[in-house]
Amino acid sequence: MGQTVILGVIGSDAHVVGITIIEQALTAAGFDVENLGVQTSRAEFVSAAEAHDAGAVLVSSLYGHARQDCRGLHERLAEADCDAVTYIGGNLAVGQDDWSETAEHFRELGFDRVFDAETDPSAVVAALERDLDTTVTETATDRVRVDS
Amino acid sequence: MVRDERIPGDQLRETADELRDRWPTGADADFEAAVEFHDSLPPSKRFADVLESADRPLLQPRAGVPRLDDQVDLLRYLESEGGADLLPTTIDSYTRDNEYGKAQQGLDDARESGEDTLNGFPAVNHGVDACRDLVRSVDAPVEVRHGTPDARLLAVVTLAGGFESFEGGPISYNIPYTKEHDLAETIEHWQFVDRLCGAYTERGVRINREPFGPLTGTLVPPAIAIAVMILEGLLATTQGVRSLTLGYGQVGNVVQDVAALRALRGLGEAYLPDDTVVTTVFHEWMGGFPPDEARASGVIGLGGATAALARPDKVITKSPQEFQGVPTREANASGLRTTRQLIDMMVEQDIVVDGIDRERELIERTARSLVETAIARGDGDAARGTVAAFESGELDVPFAPSDSAAAAVLPARDDDGRVRVLEWGNLAVPDDVREIHETRLDERARTEGRSRSFRMVADDVDAISDGKLIGRPGTGDGTDAPGDTGGPAGGESDAD
Repeated sequence: MGQTVILGVIGSDAHVVGITIIEQALTAAGFDVENLGVQTSRAEFVSAAEAHDAGAVLVSSLYGHARQDCRGLHERLAEADCDAVTYIGGNLAVGQDDWSETAEHFRELGFDRVFDAETDPSAVVAALERDLDTTVTETATDRVRVDS
Repeated sequence: MVRDERIPGDQLRETADELRDRWPTGADADFEAAVEFHDSLPPSKRFADVLESADRPLLQPRAGVPRLDDQVDLLRYLESEGGADLLPTTIDSYTRDNEYGKAQQGLDDARESGEDTLNGFPAVNHGVDACRDLVRSVDAPVEVRHGTPDARLLAVVTLAGGFESFEGGPISYNIPYTKEHDLAETIEHWQFVDRLCGAYTERGVRINREPFGPLTGTLVPPAIAIAVMILEGLLATTQGVRSLTLGYGQVGNVVQDVAALRALRGLGEAYLPDDTVVTTVFHEWMGGFPPDEARASGVIGLGGATAALARPDKVITKSPQEFQGVPTREANASGLRTTRQLIDMMVEQDIVVDGIDRERELIERTARSLVETAIARGDGDAARGTVAAFESGELDVPFAPSDSAAAAVLPARDDDGRVRVLEWGNLAVPDDVREIHETRLDERARTEGRSRSFRMVADDVDAISDGKLIGRPGTGDGTDAPGDTGGPAGGESDAD
């Protein structure tokens, strides 16, 4: 597993502001970031993850179609022997959903972390520093709760 | 090469025939039958006439759900319980991407599960007759609202289906809405849409067109939005559009918003032909909303108050559930009523706000510079000039995802909360205008004891959802405003 972070907005979604801010925050924190931009297909995420030996794949979705868009993403990553951690963040369902149910759905799809649209970029940076830092071993109790 | 010239009639028909073959519902979109259907509608459903003859700002929500019956119920509810003057039908994002197959799957899923699996109404999949059922079932005029770079088939189907207003434009539905669509090609696609509206107009069905003013929806400097509106207006009128509603999205500084709406109307009337009726639309705040309905209603209220001062012809309202995406119908109606209450309490007051004329002059001078640079780059041709100016970055939009824009411009608020330009890229503005922006941003930097940087931009993007206008340091991160419902831990759910 490498250290490159793949970033993209999945499906037909064109919401660009959040991913721009995340890219700036991750770059400032020293991560090697590959931003695929808006309207990125599952296949584009997988081939970018393969090409860059990605350490993390970060999927953004604001428009509510994430369920349909993410179907099969993790199976394809597995077929490509990609062991990157995967995060998803944004407004992940159409309408006024129950967030805990929505988050559970995306964890079942295989996402390691699920963030809502109010997440501060620093929370993502902190999570990646934990998940990608292979030199530091942590026990669960050492983990700092990430508050925005 | 794209040119700002009217599409000949035979070419319009040829393209329309070809488009109708792209999805089975296209076959029902017959132009003559469509004109007949529009003629059968009562005056209260004539979008352009209703909007242009109104004596107060009309209110319109956004609303779109996948199934026809649900859409009818939703629009009726927004009329009766929200007091909407004009109705929308918001199109789902797969249709916006011309992914009619995916939209069909979403629609099938919605019909099967009873859940709204799409974020809008897939009008192409529903087809002409369903659109007519929708138009017949409500009392107010209905507009197609979307975000589609290539909206030709959508226009063919929905205009035949009785919709009398069509949102969007070649710049405003390319630059903020897509990554890969080529701008010159998008202009050609919208020349078709505008020519189709022109063809209806010539038959007495004056289709209203509404370029999308808010662009990327986040801290867009007013002059940039206005320049885009003027250029799209020019391209539309070439094709025969005679009812144009130019848009602008609230930035939250009252002086700047009122100044911008006045500048938009003034420049629209100055640049667009006399036989075109120009109206304006004000979009309530399009950026991130507070995750708290009470505070969100405050943002909406400020929009209503601003509209009462600036008196646009139309206001697109937001709902207090904006934070979480598509709202319930109750929340959507509540956004309408909040806005109406503010406007009706304030509109008859004679409120004088200092500084509007000065800000308006600055906005107009900047917008004129952008428009005239673009037209000059096309040797007088607005279509070619638009492409050239975006290519050189002389015309640019902050946060633009499109490959056709430089996206080198970055905005930040000044010490008074007005949106200024922090990074100019190659934007074509006069030196003295730049100096004013620089001076104002330096003032803010001094107040905050930090240097100008991207951090300011990021702080400003979050500021309103964090409970304030300007992203001051040390007040955003780590402190939840009262009433935040974001749940524990910065919104991350426990994944491990």
